[in-house]
Formats: sequence, structure tokens, C-alpha cells
Amino acid sequence: MNPAGTQATSTDWGIEVRGVTHDYGAVRALRDVSLTIPRGTIFGLLGPNGSGKSTLIRVLCGLLRPTGGTALVDGIDVTHHASQVRRRIGYVPQRFSLYEDLTVMENLNFFASVYGLSGAHLAERREWVIGLTGIAPYRDRLAAHLSGGWKQRLSLGAALMHEPRVVFLDEPTAGIDPVARRELWNLLFDLSASGVTLLVSTHYMDEAERCGRLGYLYMSKLLVEGEPEDLVALPEITPPGTRRVEVAIEGSAAQVMRRARSLTYVEEATIFGNSVHLLVPDAVTHDDLVRDLTEPGVKVNVRPIAPSLEDVFVRLTGLQAEAAENGSAQTGKTS
Amino acid sequence: MKGFLAVIRKEAIHMRRDKGTLRLALGIPLFQLVMFGSIDTNIKHVPTVVFDQCRCPQSRALLDELVATRTFEIKRVVNTHDELREAIVAGDARVGLEIPPDYGRHRLQGTEATFLALIDGSDNTVASQSLAAINGLALTQSLVELQKQQNRKTLPISPRPQILFNPDTRSANLLIPGLVAILLTFSGTMLTAYAIVRERERGTLEQLLVTPVSAVEMILGKLIPYLILGFCQLILVLFLMTTLFRVPIHGNVLLLAALSLIYLTSLLSLGLMISARSTTQIEATQAAQSILLPSIMLSGYIFPLSSLPLPLRIISHLFPATHFINISRGIIIRGAGFHDLLNEVLALCAISLVLLTMSVMLFRKSRL
Repeated sequence: MNPAGTQATSTDWGIEVRGVTHDYGAVRALRDVSLTIPRGTIFGLLGPNGSGKSTLIRVLCGLLRPTGGTALVDGIDVTHHASQVRRRIGYVPQRFSLYEDLTVMENLNFFASVYGLSGAHLAERREWVIGLTGIAPYRDRLAAHLSGGWKQRLSLGAALMHEPRVVFLDEPTAGIDPVARRELWNLLFDLSASGVTLLVSTHYMDEAERCGRLGYLYMSKLLVEGEPEDLVALPEITPPGTRRVEVAIEGSAAQVMRRARSLTYVEEATIFGNSVHLLVPDAVTHDDLVRDLTEPGVKVNVRPIAPSLEDVFVRLTGLQAEAAENGSAQTGKTS
Repeated sequence: MKGFLAVIRKEAIHMRRDKGTLRLALGIPLFQLVMFGSIDTNIKHVPTVVFDQCRCPQSRALLDELVATRTFEIKRVVNTHDELREAIVAGDARVGLEIPPDYGRHRLQGTEATFLALIDGSDNTVASQSLAAINGLALTQSLVELQKQQNRKTLPISPRPQILFNPDTRSANLLIPGLVAILLTFSGTMLTAYAIVRERERGTLEQLLVTPVSAVEMILGKLIPYLILGFCQLILVLFLMTTLFRVPIHGNVLLLAALSLIYLTSLLSLGLMISARSTTQIEATQAAQSILLPSIMLSGYIFPLSSLPLPLRIISHLFPATHFINISRGIIIRGAGFHDLLNEVLALCAISLVLLTMSVMLFRKSRL
């Protein structure tokens, strides 16, 4: 049987979302979300907790029926052909969701066999997954006894047994150590290189920077979507007549931050370890800044910088919050 | 089909590693069988107090006869009427006998001799059996007396009652076949009541729902391992029943085993249905208990169906236990065959089918 059936299209998109809205009762969890992800891309989905990341992933996995809009995964409509979509996707939920009372092998065998794999084919896929994830030493260990990093690899491995075309990972690196995180990302790169489309939600900026494309969800809305370079170059991030500077600090960064916030011309201030990033009008010179920020016991050093991805999201969130405030003042009258 | 087999294999592994499930399935019913199976419902040795004002050979003869029925056991002899009442109010005795001073004289003269029997009405069974024993004794004694006076050898009417199937009225023979049905009801329903909701709580259901496994595969895949477990449990219970309690099975054991599979299917389906619509294990437990209690109360095990008002009697037929008690008693006690039980079998099949369909439909609602 051709799993593609008659629904296969020639689309180049691994994932295509058009105007998807989802309501949990009276709560709107997704508001008119549209995005396209080319095949073989790692797409990073960012946004604060409760912004709708998991909801979007669950809609795309066919676990939730969207209230409006259409979503195509590997070219197939998830609402109307959910069962066909299921054969083509892998899903690694936020919380470890394999069977803790089953061993690594038993979990892999089970998830392969619900997809209809058996015999030599199953064994071959299993060995491939074990080789890819390096989980061989723990084959016969109960999943409950694996560390967080190995649990995540097992989850990913189980989701890959049936050779999915698209894989969804919901905060796969939350709560695992940096080495395990890096190794998991190396796995994701290998997968995308073999043509698998990946959608990964994350809170980590360093992970965002590794993604081919990014989307930022805030309060159920997708604020931006695109390649990291495009996002950094967005005009609203560094509006004309303003520039971004980094203030390196010798002394208390918190003190400088407080002071920067009190300056009326500073449009945005974010603390980064021992430095502070500012968005200031072009008219404000380095000397102005050094003068205004220097305090007894604090030395500052100012240099121009390009916006980071974190700057992008902080800026967008701030603009959105402002707009929401103005908006709610208006809608307050109409409702 | 492959998904179905995969689910069965997985459930079998869970079952093997989960000592709790095995304990619930095998230990508890056996324990309960031993505990409840040894209850004897024949009323014997009812605690009795006596206030004998006559203290004559006649009154002593009466008391001896009463004790000889084995229905009564004299706990205490008291000296006032008030003490007699007090003993019953305090629960020390169920029956109080007061023999007046002139009892012996009346018996000797052949005039009407009376005695007072106070019976505690707070337990219906004890009260009615005590009443019957006292009336029966007085009547027999009177007849013997009258026969002597009239010089008759026989009585005008002499019934020849014959109790079928359980001639020595052993209560175990009557109780245990029903008890088997009740024990299965509990453990059968509870086994699967957690089967789906446990996965929902642990998050594994979400992972399963993104796979192509269908609702039918899931429900049947979960049902079958538990059906096998439930069947082992039934065999164990029946084995204990025939060996430890020496309750004979008058009918066909294979028929009983086959029909109990249908019964187990209905119970497990009920559990799965509860599980499919619950969000937490606590919710499932509560739902199961709220169905199990009426299903046992109305099954005919505790009250005869004929004593239920019509609406309850109709409801009672919706519960699988009601039908299986009839099947179990029918085969074990009366030696009934398939044709005798056809209506019950059809009812159980229908209930199973409805519950199974409903659990599939409810489970299907978990995803698109």
C-alpha cells in the first residue's frame, strides 16, 4: 500500500498552516496562525509559557481539532485525513510519555509494531534507531531507570521507528543537562539532513539560533516567522533613527540597569550577564551614555551591536504588550 | 490487526510487572471467598434468656425441647420480667422466654398452658426463624398431647416436603454460587477501570494517540489480556468452591466456564467504558463504585428479585451480575443446561456488546 494514498501533493512544504485558530472553550489558544516550513528544515517555535506552542503542535499532530483554518503536514490535511497524517509523523511530547515499566527495547518494539512494523524490518529499524541514539548500553533497562537525557533520546528514537517525514518535539531539552542537549541537537541536525522536517519548541535562545527558521508565538498569536537573519533585520526591531548598543560593565550590572531604565531616551534595556543591551536614538552618543550611566564604583564601556534573537523577541513582546494595552482601552468602550 | 497484537503484548508485560494488578485479580477474590463463603445463614444458637417462674419438671422439659432444636441457646437465667426485657434491649439476647408459675399445673391438668416469648424484631431473619421454631415446637407438643388424649396413631394431615438440589440445606451451597458472581463483578470491573485512565494520567495515552492504532484495536487489545486474567481468577474461585467448601457443581463445568467468559467480557467492557470517560484514576474509582454498589444490591444476591419494586426490578436486568447469578446458581445448584439459561445468555451478550461499543465510541472521542 502506498501510504501517501491519493492525498499526496507536490508541495515543497513539510508543514503548511493557514489561518489556524483553536479555542479551549472560551479561551482562544491560537489566533489565526499561518506559517510554512520547507521540507528538511528545523523550525524553532518560541514563545513564553502559555503562548500556544503546545496547542499548535497538538493541532498539527491531529490530537486537537482546530476551531478554524487548515493545517497540512507532509502535504496532507490533518483534520480530514488524521489517520494518514499519523503514519507520517513522529511526536516527542514535553513530558516523557513512553512506558516506564517497559525496557528500552520493549518500548521501541511496541511503538514500531503499532505502526505495523514486524520481523526483519522492525529489527532493522530498531538497530538503526539504537545506533543513531547510542542507547545500546541501556537496551534492557526499564525506561523508568533512565536519566532525563536518555529518556529524551529514547522518546525521539521511538518516534523515529516508522521513518516519519515530519517530527514534532515539544520542549525536548527542558530539564536535561547541556551535554545531553547538545547531543540531542546533533541528532536533530542529522535528521534534517536526511530530509525530515522538524518542528521544535524551545525556550533557549542558543537553540533558536540553530534553527533554519523560527516562529515567535505570543498570547496565541504568531508575531513573526522567518529565517533568523530576516528576523534580526526586521525594521521594528531597530526602528529608523535608533541603534543598539552593548554596555559592558565593571561593577554592578543591576545598578546600571536601574539607571538605564530611569533615562527617558532609553527605549529598551535588557540585562545580559555583565552587560546591558540598550535601544537608544541615534542622537544619543556613546559619550552621553558613558556620562549618564557611570556611577561611583561602576565603569562602563559602550559599543554598537547588531540585535540578537533575544533582542528580537523582547522587542516584539514589548510592542505587542503596548498594542494590547491601547487595544484593550479601545475595546473597553465597544464591549 | 498488528496494532491490536502489539497492544495485547504490551498489556501482558504491564500485567506481569504490576504486582498490584495481579494481587487485585487473584488475591482479593480468593480472600473474600474464604471470608464470605464461611458465613452460615441458617439461624442457630440464638442467644436466649429465661425467666422461669414455675421451676417445675414441665417447664424444664419445655426449655430442654427448645434447646434441642439448636435454634436457641440459653445464655442466662433471670429473676424478673424487667431483667428479661433489659437483656433484649441491651442486645445480650435475641429471645426472652417467660414461663408463668402456673405452667406446670396447667400442663398436668390438661388445661391451656401459656408462656411468653419476647423476640427481638430488629433482625428480620433471626426474628422470623425464632418465631417459627417456637411456634413449631409448641404445635408439635400440643399435637402429641392431643394424640395421646384421643388415642390416635396418625395425624389428619401429614405433609411430605422435599427440598430439591440442596437437601441438607447447607447455606454454602446456596451462597457461594452467587458469591462467585459478586466477586467477579468487583475485580473484573476494577481491573479495566484503570486501564485507559492510567495511561491518560501518565501521559502515555498522548503518545499512543498520535500513532495509527485504532480505538477498536486499543479497546480489544486491553480487553483480552484482562479477560485471560479474569478467567484464571474464575477457575481459581471455582476450584476453591468445590474443594474447600465442597459445593458440588451439578451442571456442566465447561458451560459455566464458557458463559463466565461472556460475563467477564461485560464486566471488563464496563470498566473500559468508565476508564475511557474518566480523566483521573480517582474519578474512575468513584464511577466504578457508584455502578457496582447498585449492581450488587439489585442483583438478587442480597434481596430476592421478587422483593424489588417493579422499576428497580427492570433496572436490575441492566446489570450483568443479575444475569450471571441466575446462570451460576442455575448450573451449579440446579444443573441447568444451555437451553434453560438461553434468556440470560442472550441478555449478557447484548449487555457486553453495548458496553464494548460504548467504550470504543468514548475512547474514539479522545482524539480527532
